[in-house]
Order: sequence, then structure tokens, then C-alpha cells
Amino acid sequence: MAGITTHVLDADRGRPAPGVRIDFSVREGDAWRLVKSVVTNADGRTDKPILPGDEARAGQYQLEFHIDAYLKAKPGVTEADIFVDNPVVRFSVFDVKQHYHVPMLCTPGNCATYRGS
Amino acid sequence: MDRHRTDRRDVAGHEFDGFALTRRSLVGAGIGGAALAAVPGALAQANPPPASPSQPGALTTAPVTQAGLGPRLTLHAIDNFHGTPGAGMVCDLSIREGDAYRPIKTVTTAANGRTPEPLLSEDALKVGHYELLMHFEAYFAKTGATLPSPNFLGLVPVRFVIRDASQRYHLPVLFTPWGYSYYRGS
Repeated sequence: MAGITTHVLDADRGRPAPGVRIDFSVREGDAWRLVKSVVTNADGRTDKPILPGDEARAGQYQLEFHIDAYLKAKPGVTEADIFVDNPVVRFSVFDVKQHYHVPMLCTPGNCATYRGS
Repeated sequence: MDRHRTDRRDVAGHEFDGFALTRRSLVGAGIGGAALAAVPGALAQANPPPASPSQPGALTTAPVTQAGLGPRLTLHAIDNFHGTPGAGMVCDLSIREGDAYRPIKTVTTAANGRTPEPLLSEDALKVGHYELLMHFEAYFAKTGATLPSPNFLGLVPVRFVIRDASQRYHLPVLFTPWGYSYYRGS
């Protein structure tokens, strides 16, 4: 499987983060062009791949995770606790035959991403 | 390359609290920061003397503890790929204004992965949405790491919010060529 997938995890709870909007963009010239916005399902994933393998092209891509709204809606979290701004992950697809899984682990004060599988 | 790594391990080896008081004393005496303006490319020097202004020694770097200091934003870049401080990382700091980010300054981390001066301090620390754009690809190119081109991570935006300008904010960034995390530290 190639293409791009993601997974949003609420690392505070060790649970998937549902209902998180993700804006997916591609680099064109000097600008980022929004391709689509998707929302995570109950499993913290998207129902379909962010980018299906047969549509993958080498290039620069961006995922913006709108975790702010998710965090503010969590019981026990106040706005003052939220240090991480909606994280933006920019990465290269350098080989279209490979799969790029890009998870986002977040809490109000911490976030992490990496190339997963 | 081996020499770079050895040098940074030496610095990393001094990254413990036993030196905190000494460092604070040096900073308090005014010789901790100003004389140590970041010098890009400092790592390229072959085995500089420890006291060289372009290569801060372990005893003249930023304090480990921030206790008792005023409002400030500090950075610590940590290279989890090599197990060293992230030395020589170029970072562009900007603040969001409307839909765009306005550049504030560009800094380069010193041998200890920190910046000689806080990114922002006292009145310069303002409430707002910030971005620190970190030049990962250039950093790893200097280390000689074998990676794809372009690398998976090139220019990495680290976005965070300062909500109270009277507090201290420490921003550690732990990174490898394949991932990173950042958090509000202390």
C-alpha cells in the first residue's frame, strides 16, 4: 500500500481522537494548495486514505491537525493549559511506491509525529 | 564528522544539574550570554579551544534551571538520532498576524542545543501564536547522515501559543530525520 494515511491519538488518555479536522495540502510553487479537509472517525483515523496510493505523486505535503477544538471540548482541559497550537506537519513523499503513515499524538502541552507504518 | 560528534558528546556529557549553579553565576556576572552570540558554522571549526567565543564551553552556556528568572521563551533542540544536543540548527521565529506569520528573528542553536540568549524575554515576550521554523534538512546534511533527498522532513514548523506573557516558557524539541516532538517544558 502506498499513499498517505494518518492517525490522531489523544496521548493524555491513550485513546483515539475522534472528530478532529485535518486539512491536507500540497505544495505548488511557493504556496500550499488545500486539497481537502477530512475529519477523524471514532478510531482517530480517516475513513479513506488521505491520499490513495494510485494518486500519490512525489512532492511536499502538509497536514494541519485542528486539535485545538478537540482539546477545548475535553473535560478538565482549560484554554490556559493548551500550549500546542494546531500542529502543522510538512513532509516529502520522495518515493511514490512507499506508504507514508504520519500519525499525530497530542496532549494540551505536547505533540509528536513521525513516519509510522 | 567524527570530530563533530565527539565534541557534541563532550558538551552533552556536561548537561547535568551539577553545573547549574555555576552557569547561573556566570550568566549573572554578565559573561554568560552576550559574549556568545550564535555563530553559524561554529561546528565546522576543527577542535576550537573551549573558551573560544564561537564555541561556548559547558560552563558558559545557558542555565539549566530557569527558576527565579523573568518571563522568557527558551529553546532546547535535542537530536535523538545522534543522541546529542541539536547544535547548529537554524530556526526562524515568527508570530501570527491575521492569516500570516511575521518573521521576528532567525537564530542558530549553540553547541548545547540552546540559544545563547532566550528567543524572547521580558517585554519582547508577547501573547500570541508563534511558529518556529526549524531547518531539519540542512541540519542533517551537515551531520553527514545518509537520508533520502529530499528528506522526509525538511523545514519543520513548530507551532505553539503564549497565553500569559508573565510566565516562563521552555520549548524543548526532540527530533530525528523521521519525526519530532515538542512540548511545554520548564
